[in-house]
Amino acid sequence: MTDPLLSVKNLRIELNTRDGVAPVIDDFSFDLFPGEAISFVGESGCGKSMTALGIMGLLPEGVGKIASGSINFAGEDLSSAEQKRMRNIRGNEISMIFQEPMTSLNPVYTIGEQIAEVLRAHQGLSKQASWTKAIELLDAVRIPNPQARISDYPFQMSGGQRQRVMIAIALACEPKILIADEPTTALDVTVQAQIFDLLNDLRKQTGTAIILITHDMGAVAEMAERMIVMYAGRKVEEGPVQQVIDNAGHPYTQGLISCVPHILEKLTAKRQMLQEVPGIVPSLRDFGKDQCLFASRCQYVSEKCNNTRPTENKFSSSQTVACWLTESIQ
Amino acid sequence: MSLTNTALLKVENLGVRFLMKSNMLLGKKTYLYAVDDVSFEIQRGETLAIVGESGSGKTTAALAAARLVKAYTGKITLDNTDMLQIQKEKLRQARTKVQFIFQDPYSSLNPRLRAEEIVKEPLNSLTNFSSQKKQTLVNDLFAAVGLRPEQQRLFPHQFSGGQRQRIGIARALATQPELIICDEPVSALDVAVQAQILNLLRELQSKFELTYLFISHDLGVVQHMCDQIAVMYMGKIVEYADRLSLFNSPLHPYTSALLSAIPSVDQKRRENTKRILIPGDPPDPINPPKGCRFANRCPVAKDICFQKEPKLQNTKDNHRVACHLVDETAVSPLKHLL
Ligand SMILES: Nc1ncnc2c1ncn2[C@@H]1O[C@H](COP(=O)(O)OP(=O)(O)OP(=O)(O)O)[C@@H](O)[C@H]1O
Ligand SMILES: Nc1ncnc2c1ncn2[C@@H]1O[C@H](COP(=O)(O)OP(=O)(O)OP(=O)(O)O)[C@@H](O)[C@H]1O
Ligand code: SF4
Ligand SMILES: [Mg+2]
Ligand SMILES: [Mg+2]
Repeated sequence: MTDPLLSVKNLRIELNTRDGVAPVIDDFSFDLFPGEAISFVGESGCGKSMTALGIMGLLPEGVGKIASGSINFAGEDLSSAEQKRMRNIRGNEISMIFQEPMTSLNPVYTIGEQIAEVLRAHQGLSKQASWTKAIELLDAVRIPNPQARISDYPFQMSGGQRQRVMIAIALACEPKILIADEPTTALDVTVQAQIFDLLNDLRKQTGTAIILITHDMGAVAEMAERMIVMYAGRKVEEGPVQQVIDNAGHPYTQGLISCVPHILEKLTAKRQMLQEVPGIVPSLRDFGKDQCLFASRCQYVSEKCNNTRPTENKFSSSQTVACWLTESIQ
Repeated sequence: MSLTNTALLKVENLGVRFLMKSNMLLGKKTYLYAVDDVSFEIQRGETLAIVGESGSGKTTAALAAARLVKAYTGKITLDNTDMLQIQKEKLRQARTKVQFIFQDPYSSLNPRLRAEEIVKEPLNSLTNFSSQKKQTLVNDLFAAVGLRPEQQRLFPHQFSGGQRQRIGIARALATQPELIICDEPVSALDVAVQAQILNLLRELQSKFELTYLFISHDLGVVQHMCDQIAVMYMGKIVEYADRLSLFNSPLHPYTSALLSAIPSVDQKRRENTKRILIPGDPPDPINPPKGCRFANRCPVAKDICFQKEPKLQNTKDNHRVACHLVDETAVSPLKHLL
């Protein structure tokens, strides 16, 4: 087996909140292999973006910090890397695209200037060369007529086009890893499909590994090979996408899948009520507790769940689940 | 098109346009036709969904149907009352029959009012009930949407997103409306909370015999909620059919593209669905092309599609579609691509 490109071990990210310090990410580990696409899924506030920001060295200053654990990238521990080194990595090796393309693009510069600027800063290209490369990149993300569109300002583009520009910028330096944080949430499904096709093509061509952050199980199934289900700052399940969807081990994953009205092969007249997951996510204050954080919403809860944090167990050959229930099954 | 008259809401040839001010300098009035010759109807107790991409006119059509946006042409009949003719007191009465639930449970609630006051608001403005009667109603409404009595005294920020949407639903139910227009009612919610709200909406529908106009861009949600579906593209309805026909045998190329773009957890569907790519963007809505508005992106467009506008026509079983390449035999023009 090849070595992982990125190996996150026992990561703990702490946030300063009004109620004190809370572990927004708690003992979180995963590997990402070269050319692979994995996905983080989970409810709003479970820490998906924080994990991404932690890897990128972009945790909100004075609020969040990596308290322990390691982020091993190509033999280097990013969790203790200098800011200067992280800037270099962000420009060249690991890129990120964010949910709202409008807020990540600067409204007063043309998109060409913004892409070329990245290329000059990180690859030391000349003005002329960076402009030519920028046109190539716009072409690669399938912006029609890139020579003309390169002088457009962000507001002159549609939402889907802006997101493609963001992808062009993220890919400018041919990163080894692309982190896409809800890249299509604000877009129509027809545009989303184009973006997914684009990401899949680029992955095939360049071998860039992708971390897709989303709450849409369908998107996960379409884009990723492996998925990590997160709940309240912890990994609760991990495994190959279709295997997890067809046979989820953690009660939370099961709920997440069956509470969504999925588009199926053939629609029938029958309509079932959707499964509800009662209750709400615990508040940040409770994230660190030594118990299963899903216990208050879980229909299988037992005493142990309320007293001890479940360990990660093998659920099937390539699937792991952190739930006391699955331990007792084994 | 045969529109029956048992419908609770019947909208005929509705048109809504917005004046584009920037062009007034040229001395010529330019309009954006946000809703163009749109007709639909909803039977009592049923749900009609409107789907379509962002900017296609879904919200505007719904607002116009409730007379919250001015229609420049068309006819709207609610419960046998001509909504565009009636005025004042009659209009106020008619308005109690229609209520809205909005997408954003955060901004659609007044942050300075307590939950009970928010729910009471439409009762104050649209009825003459005594304050005691209003309070009794509010108590019932809180129970109906699954909120606890003591939560009446809380302010919006003290509720979760799903609970706020419940307040919005209670408010919409207050005047005992017959028609509720739900505009993206769950888009801002987590999937687990979405399920609660969708279940609640269906439960309330059967309990109070409610009629829904349901707007959503999430076709999974739509498929779960609706009886009939209208697909909009650039201000026009391009396809209109019942739930099973539309999802199992879509006819308009745009609908096929839309359905094929939905990511699915169903492995069989992923393997059997060929993605229909529609490159490019919709044309400028201020200057729509003279032919079919989808022609520039349509994978099977013919010459006629660029020349002449297709009308919404019945094929069979009331499955209506606006496409030159579909006739009464109701065969998808994309059949060879699927
Ligand atoms: N700048 C910040 N200061 C304090 N708390 C924060 C900050 N950013 C995020 N949080 C908190 O950290 C937790 C995790 O947030 P995160 O953004 O990682 O969630 P997420 O899983 O990405 O959710 P979503 O799906 O809504 O994007 C949340 O409880 C959030 O309120
Ligand atoms: N008050 C207004 N003034 C001018 N143009 C408007 C106004 N309201 C809507 N429009 C335009 O009318 C068209 C239809 O808008 P509408 O909000 O109805 O679309 P929608 O289908 O609801 O989209 P979304 O899915 O984004 O909510 C758009 O081009 C929009 O920009
Ligand atoms: S550990 Fe217990 S409470 Fe947590 S998910 Fe499993 S059974 Fe439910
Ligand atoms: Mg996030
Ligand atoms: Mg809308």
